[in-house]
Amino acid sequence: MEEIIVRCSLPVRDISLSRDGEWAAVASDELDVKVVNTRDMTRIMHLREQCRPVKNVSFDVSGTMLAVSCSDGVVYMYSLSSEKLQLLKRVDGLIKTLETDAEASAMVAWHPDGRAFIAPTSTRDIQCVARNDWQRQKAFTGGHRADISAMRWSPNGALLASAGVDNSLCLWDTRTQRLIKTFEDVSNTIMAIDWHPTENMCSYTNKNGELFMRENFVPSPSSTLLKVALQPSPMNNEPLSEVSGNAQRRPGDGLKSNGVLRSVEDQYLDDLLGPDAMSEDDGGFIEDDDGAGYAEVPNGHGKRAAGGMTSLPAKRHQAYSSWQPRIHEAFQPGSTPWRGNRRYLCLNLTGFVWTVNQETHHTITVEFYDRHEHRDFHFTDPYKYDKACLNEKGTLFSCPPSTQSDQRAMLYYRPHETWTTRMDWKTQLPAGETIVSMSLSDSCIVATTSAGYVRIFSLFGVPLKVHRQKSTPAVTCASFRDYVLTVGNGSVGGDGTTRLLYSIENIRRDEIYQNEDILALPDGAELRSVFFGDKGDPCIYDTHGVLLVLLHWRTPGQAKWVPLLDTKMLERLASGRKDETYWPVAVANNKFHCIILKGGEEYPYFPRPLLTDFEFSIPVSALPKTSEEDEDKELVHLQGLEEQYVRATLQHSLQLDLVENTNASSAQKAEVPMMEREVDKVLLQLLATECREGEERGMKALEIASLMRDRSGKMLEAAGKIAARFQRDILGEKIYQLAERRLVGLVDDEEI
Amino acid sequence: MEHVTVIPRQRLDGLELLGGPTKPLNPPFSTPLPLWLALLLKKQRRANISPPPWLSVEALTHILDFETDERTAEVFSPAPTMPRAIGMTPLEGDPYLSRDSLELSPPFMSDAATARAQEDALPYHWLELGHLLLTHAADDFDEPDTVRKLLRDLREVRMSKLRKGFKVLGPGAGIKMNGVGGMEVAEVRGFVVGMVDGLRKINRSREESRKEREIEERENGLGSSSYADEEDEDML
Repeated sequence: MEEIIVRCSLPVRDISLSRDGEWAAVASDELDVKVVNTRDMTRIMHLREQCRPVKNVSFDVSGTMLAVSCSDGVVYMYSLSSEKLQLLKRVDGLIKTLETDAEASAMVAWHPDGRAFIAPTSTRDIQCVARNDWQRQKAFTGGHRADISAMRWSPNGALLASAGVDNSLCLWDTRTQRLIKTFEDVSNTIMAIDWHPTENMCSYTNKNGELFMRENFVPSPSSTLLKVALQPSPMNNEPLSEVSGNAQRRPGDGLKSNGVLRSVEDQYLDDLLGPDAMSEDDGGFIEDDDGAGYAEVPNGHGKRAAGGMTSLPAKRHQAYSSWQPRIHEAFQPGSTPWRGNRRYLCLNLTGFVWTVNQETHHTITVEFYDRHEHRDFHFTDPYKYDKACLNEKGTLFSCPPSTQSDQRAMLYYRPHETWTTRMDWKTQLPAGETIVSMSLSDSCIVATTSAGYVRIFSLFGVPLKVHRQKSTPAVTCASFRDYVLTVGNGSVGGDGTTRLLYSIENIRRDEIYQNEDILALPDGAELRSVFFGDKGDPCIYDTHGVLLVLLHWRTPGQAKWVPLLDTKMLERLASGRKDETYWPVAVANNKFHCIILKGGEEYPYFPRPLLTDFEFSIPVSALPKTSEEDEDKELVHLQGLEEQYVRATLQHSLQLDLVENTNASSAQKAEVPMMEREVDKVLLQLLATECREGEERGMKALEIASLMRDRSGKMLEAAGKIAARFQRDILGEKIYQLAERRLVGLVDDEEI
Repeated sequence: MEHVTVIPRQRLDGLELLGGPTKPLNPPFSTPLPLWLALLLKKQRRANISPPPWLSVEALTHILDFETDERTAEVFSPAPTMPRAIGMTPLEGDPYLSRDSLELSPPFMSDAATARAQEDALPYHWLELGHLLLTHAADDFDEPDTVRKLLRDLREVRMSKLRKGFKVLGPGAGIKMNGVGGMEVAEVRGFVVGMVDGLRKINRSREESRKEREIEERENGLGSSSYADEEDEDML
């Protein structure tokens, strides 16, 4: 023995060491818990919030939280960061009221991923509680008929071993909360269990004072679970809890279990979440070194293929399964993932749709911004809709198929108001198909499905068209009036990710405008959202924070993605103090409407955040540094003018396209010459700045003058006047010559 | 005219007001409206008012830190910077009367309380705007109580600075009141004016003798010997 670090006046009941070994928490029959530094015993903290003796203490994996199970049935959560301790929460109603010397345990076991912990309840279940909001998550039920005396997670959190006072020892699977095995040959009540860090071995001590070590503790089909990387804790509403951290393996020839028997749910979720969705590990690839079937995905019954059958074919597929192309996973634009028991299904300029999970059913609420036009409503949803779209005319919902109730995937449309009685309609998709993404416009409903079909319905449920998408797996879709844009994964690019391809077609005219054109994303960026702006031009927003609009998309082969706004170059971020990202909502009135997400948040959450809007600013030149020098101010002014010119030409050509190709209203048609004049006005300002610079800048000034679009000569005349005001006679003469040539009709781009 | 940014809850057409037309209200886009109209719509629950950026906890704390810092004991927190003067004349129209080429200075700056207001400066009417918005639109703030407390603290600090500055007031000396708001000026106006007037009366005799001497000098030329000494005495 080296030294005594702390003494208690009453029996010590439990000790817990923090992960780094620095701190030891000591629980005794005294009322306070002592947390003492193992190296320097003079550093000691006392946790005094309890009123009764403490039975168990437990540090979490990071060493900052201490769970103190008190004999009054309350778990006290302390946060210990840098020697300052603070009572975070009293979790009541979780553990049983026990005496400190009782055999039954009230210990709290933290899951290795740090997000949740478990505790034994008075109903002999093991209840999992989330750390961030202290809400109850899944529970391991039905395993013990007597009080639980010990519990321990496996080192990777995939398995749970628990023992009861009736000599029972149970092994559970974390992901499904199912009992894998009960051990019958335990002679005495087990008081403490622990796992070997690497091997399939478990050791435990019992009431008789004996220490046992059991080899091959986990029976053979599940023993592979021990080898996988860190598993997520059993939380509610976790898509990751459905898919284990294994690679998405393409079914090989001999592997029947993977090919045929996989349930629809797993298929759907595997399509939905590519390897990118695995947050904790390195992309989720398991190197299948010795073919023991590590990288198998369990079929719908939770069973893995029996080991023997797959050992040979697995080796042959070794080289194949070691590299997988990274595909873009599908998403529904405008929706957020589950957080707690709520999520947004659709957030756009009309309003927002959110759903609350109430275990057996969901409750969906639809709220509008324009309270006068539409009334907010909510309803209970037994089908558990997971996607929604909202527009001025109605709301569209869709639910995935479920194996329990033999329910097929379904679309449900609810118009907001009708002149007859409200006509909602529901339609079911063929068995086995799920909806990957959907979109709602003023005249049609579009749904892309897992079978690769794009199904188009009218607003009241008449199926209009079905066609198979050329680039699957589908990613997302958007629509505006009769135009439909679908995005899917195409062939693999140079960096191992697939390229995204999009198509735009008009349903009414049955014309395809863009056919599998490339959706331009830089390396490493992913698509965050796709939508149509209010003028009908498709826009995308990528994870690099750039908003792009599609130019000349109505002509096949001419489409170009032009950046409208680079949110990383916004002025408000220039000082470096703010850490913000933006969640796109829509483009309207020449502004980009979005939600500001502060400090590392990825999605907006409740209460509903406010929309902010930003003016477009094409990333033409570097961010000007604000300074007081006059020259820099001039430079800033010049850069502003240049950006204005590029933006004005872009808007002019967008408007021109609109007017030429559609039945534009007279207001829209009148905007075209106005925009042209805007362009020329900016050019005049640029010309003025150039002339002010000096005599030697004549060439650039003449070039600016030749960029003028106006063909009536007035603008060039004004340009000549500006040159005259600055006494630039030579330049003025050249401009007049240019004007005359233009009037006559000679085109002379070469000669300056 | 003081505008505030309003987030409408229903569609409303634009109005032709004397001060200029207002934009039509389309939810969920925010529009600037005159303060009185915004408060009226808020009371009718047809709109929500979005507090200006300087009326938030972070911005007010930042300004309060500036004010209470010992190094700035003489100075008030700066007022919003004025928009850049537009030097060039537009192409058509009378530049003198054209709105674009007007240079507006406080208290007539148009963006003092909209969403585009400057975040780290208190505009001229900060006290009034803060009070009105907190009274009528408290639910549009994240933390109305903290904001109220911060406004009160700011007011006290600035008042105490003003009062400290009065000690040196007198003929010839002054304090720099750059950045002081309208309400604060109004509070001290009576006192300061009275004080300066009283000082003037006290110093009247000295003033009169000084004036007589000046008239003498002008008649006699600059040959007076005691010219420089007496000027210095008066300057205190």
